[in-house]
Amino acid sequence: MTTTLAATKLPPSTHPFAEIVHRLEAGGSMLPDTPENLMQIIGLYKAYAVPMDFYWRDLLYIAEQVFVDPLPFFKFIIPEEYLKLANHYAGESADLRIWRGIDTAHPELLEFMEKGELKRKLPRILHHLWHDRINMEFAEECMRAMLWHRDMGGLLDPYMDSEEYKQNADRAIRAYVQGNPLLQGLYKLFPDMFMELCRQATMYSVLGLFWEVMAPVFFEMSDLYDEGKLTTVPEAMNFLVNGIFAVAGRPIYHRVRIRGEWYDIVPKSKGFTWLYEAAFPYVEAVFYRTSPFRGTKSYNAQANQVPTNQLDFHYGILYADKFPVASAGIPPTLLHQDMYHFLPQYLVDYYRQHCRGEEDMLIQLGVSFQRSMYNVTSAVIQAGRAAFLYPLDDPNPRHLMMNRRYFEGQLNRFARPEYGIREAARLTYIQDQNYR
Amino acid sequence: MLSLLIGLPMVGSLGLFLGLGGRRLAIVLAGIPLVISLLLFRDFDLQATGMQWLEHRDWIPQLGLNYSLGLDGLSLLMLALNGLITLIAILTTEPEVKRPNLFYGLILLMSGAVNGAFTTQNLILFFLFYELVLIPIYLLISIWGSNKRDYAAIKFLIYTAVSAVFLLGAFLAIYWIGDPHSFELAEIPISDFSPAVQTLLLLALIVAFGIKMPLIPFHTWLPDAYGESSAPVAMLLGGVLSKLGTYGLFRFGLQLWPQAWADLAGILAWWGAVAVLSGALAAIAQKDIKRMVAYSSIGHMGYILLGMAAATPISLTGVMVQMVAHGLILALLFDLVGLVERKVGTRDLDVLNGLLNPLRGLPGISALLILGGMASAGIPGLVGFVAEFLIFQGSYSDFPLPTLIGILGTGLTAVYFVILLNRTCFGKLDNRTAYYPSVQGWERIPGLILAGLILWFGIQPMNLVKWPQQLAFTLSTQVAQTHTVILAEASEVSG
Amino acid sequence: MPDIVDIAVSVEGFSTLVTAVKAANLVDTLKSPGPFTVFAPTDAAFAKLPPGTITTLVQNIPQLTRILCYHVIPGRLKKADLAKFQSVGSVEGSPIDLTIDKETFEVNNATVLQADIEAENGIIHVIDTVILMRPHWFWPIMNSTLPTSAGA
Repeated sequence: MTTTLAATKLPPSTHPFAEIVHRLEAGGSMLPDTPENLMQIIGLYKAYAVPMDFYWRDLLYIAEQVFVDPLPFFKFIIPEEYLKLANHYAGESADLRIWRGIDTAHPELLEFMEKGELKRKLPRILHHLWHDRINMEFAEECMRAMLWHRDMGGLLDPYMDSEEYKQNADRAIRAYVQGNPLLQGLYKLFPDMFMELCRQATMYSVLGLFWEVMAPVFFEMSDLYDEGKLTTVPEAMNFLVNGIFAVAGRPIYHRVRIRGEWYDIVPKSKGFTWLYEAAFPYVEAVFYRTSPFRGTKSYNAQANQVPTNQLDFHYGILYADKFPVASAGIPPTLLHQDMYHFLPQYLVDYYRQHCRGEEDMLIQLGVSFQRSMYNVTSAVIQAGRAAFLYPLDDPNPRHLMMNRRYFEGQLNRFARPEYGIREAARLTYIQDQNYR
Repeated sequence: MLSLLIGLPMVGSLGLFLGLGGRRLAIVLAGIPLVISLLLFRDFDLQATGMQWLEHRDWIPQLGLNYSLGLDGLSLLMLALNGLITLIAILTTEPEVKRPNLFYGLILLMSGAVNGAFTTQNLILFFLFYELVLIPIYLLISIWGSNKRDYAAIKFLIYTAVSAVFLLGAFLAIYWIGDPHSFELAEIPISDFSPAVQTLLLLALIVAFGIKMPLIPFHTWLPDAYGESSAPVAMLLGGVLSKLGTYGLFRFGLQLWPQAWADLAGILAWWGAVAVLSGALAAIAQKDIKRMVAYSSIGHMGYILLGMAAATPISLTGVMVQMVAHGLILALLFDLVGLVERKVGTRDLDVLNGLLNPLRGLPGISALLILGGMASAGIPGLVGFVAEFLIFQGSYSDFPLPTLIGILGTGLTAVYFVILLNRTCFGKLDNRTAYYPSVQGWERIPGLILAGLILWFGIQPMNLVKWPQQLAFTLSTQVAQTHTVILAEASEVSG
Repeated sequence: MPDIVDIAVSVEGFSTLVTAVKAANLVDTLKSPGPFTVFAPTDAAFAKLPPGTITTLVQNIPQLTRILCYHVIPGRLKKADLAKFQSVGSVEGSPIDLTIDKETFEVNNATVLQADIEAENGIIHVIDTVILMRPHWFWPIMNSTLPTSAGA
């Protein structure tokens, strides 16, 4: 790319992260371009993609079939049909073939589901109770973050409060409780609770549809890396940018199957798109905001340690302290546990050489995960720049200045002093290879 | 039996100095005396009032120096404690320690001499052992200590030399005044001494042993010596050497001069209370966790003095239990603090943080540190509580106010341990600096053994309490008798 | 006078747009009296989108319709009329940002190549980039500043 133009046409940035601003303007990522970083992020994409292949399938199962069950005890016991469900972006019959692999559940996933960490074939329920399984708790945490941090752009959020949505939901809920007097009575008594459960189910669907795309994207990146076709961090980022554009127009919808019949809650015809209703809100809610969790630190809301405005929440992966992973009550631990099972060998060998080797691999892979998500966020930032602003090699200095304003505005999210945001942000840490 | 306890480590140390063996031999040589002292427990007669396993040989009769040994409940506990802490200290030592044979040899030499001091029945022999201990411990501090080790070692040496002068002076005075002249503990004709002389001798002994324990205001050598020593040496200093002071005060102060003791008891009780308070307050102010533990030791010596001053059967039992408890707890704390320093590279409270972190911290060590802190603060269910409870219960009737101050002191102990634990164990690890090596299996063993004992004796205190009870009862009656005599005389005078 | 669709079909360089409008069944709408103001991306503008983008949109008509509707505003608005506004509401619902002065005529990140083409039922402005809805957080990001101390 001939993108050094920005540097020559504009005076140097005076932003605290000026170096990173210049890197972004040159078509780079927030993550420095080193072979070590590339290996870490690609390895993690692979390790993430396998459980993600489970997440999106189970999320859709919950959205479409568990629906508003008030006591969903078996929502994590995924039925066979959802493991066979064809991914729209992989396999022969794909809408758009992103991954060259198969469209049903990944073989490594199936093997793990059968034997687990114990390497023994036991009834699924025993594996489940022993926590020897893919942990959906993390996926649900992400879903809840998206549900809770509302109004992050897009039209779906206002739609969920519209009369039309309520009527669609009501029709589906009535069908769902039909023939069950207990549930019928409950729905009569607490209609709002069921409505809220339905909104939650919608969010399950949104997240499932989002990850259905990301899993093949990550698998393909891993394969390309293994073939030596992905050689730099910016290449990895640009693959993501192109992926985001390619599926930007994918419909986001929510439908429920009750006794063999489909009920539309959010119909495809509303024109909701993947980029606006799933991707941007996901990054905002999960990478940036989420919510403070217990375990690492006690927060005192009265002492203004928790922002009064949800916009200022900064508890996502980009700000996370990875060291307490595996302490009691640290939710991402479950995700790290999931990824731990599917690490490529080169990363296992790499982690063995550093820190405490086997012992603290969960933290080491957590830090790699953080690096990889900074790269994904970079891709989203670059995609936003490409969609709403100007090419990096635009000849017009005013356009380049707009790009810079945008990059600096994005990086301000890691530099703000309020609520210790600047201290929490791991952007400066990931510039250093010794952070692991 | 008893000679073996003294001789074996000493001969063994000689072997080590000559270059035989190494770590494994040192462990065996430390383990055998421990086993022997445990065998003594089996055969110990709980009902007997006097000394057991008496051994007597003339050595230089012209000087009154005889090789005479004996054992009662206190000596028994101290032997076992010494055996245990010696073994633990060797286990705690890094295998990569420089000049290992010299190091282990000095520890064993010291251990044998301490065993001698705990069993001898002859004053001058006690003095010899007492002085003999100094040489290895001086070398252990000055060779293997940290930065300011020379300063700390010299300071320690000067203080203990002064202690020795007082001790020797007192012993010689006893020899010359007594008739017949004798250094034998059992033969000293106490009735020959006038009350004033008794009090003077007792004061000299209090100063001598007060430096060793140490008691405020003789304590200023301690933070330096404890702080600058390596972990095993600090364990020995706090766990065993300080017991030489309390043991001496018990044996040659309280036991020898019950009458003078009764006269001074009021002052001693207040002295103990002051020691408890100032030790705790000084500990609160520390920024270095090792010095904090060192100051905690000063406070705990105050309980011992308070319990001794009251001299009731319960409080004296408590005192003897406290000697063991303090030895175990202090050894545990120094072991853990040493490990923290070895792994993290600092003892600074302002730098330490988040060590309970399960993957990147020192979770096992932190958990034991919490247990050690709780034990030191006298939390029920742990051995520290047993000792402190007995002391407070025994001394309250005689000295209510000092006892209450002592109880306040335990509260303050909890304060500084909460500070210590809160800063070191809780909170967040710094993402930029917290890349500590993990704790090896062998490094955990000493701490686990000590923690196990602290817990076991906390739940089953009778296993510890029954041994010194007889002695406590005998001694308290002696003190009480002299007390009633004084009271009777006083009432005669006034009547 | 020809209507909007007629002009697009007759002029060279709008085949992608015409295909898209046909696929989205918007031909009848754009032939209706309107009036509409259409920002018409050239074929080159569509070609700038990364591969796959159009494929996905063509597979999903409601989503395609939404993007196309974002290029249309109700009314007959020439450059001179638009110059009074900083942004205008599109048929899709989201606002379109305008940057207009003597030399410049830009909508969102697209530059108008040819302005004020009159049609029977509206106005066409030819643009060089497909414009996409800017989410509501876009301007807060652009306008965010750090307190001066934050640079330290």
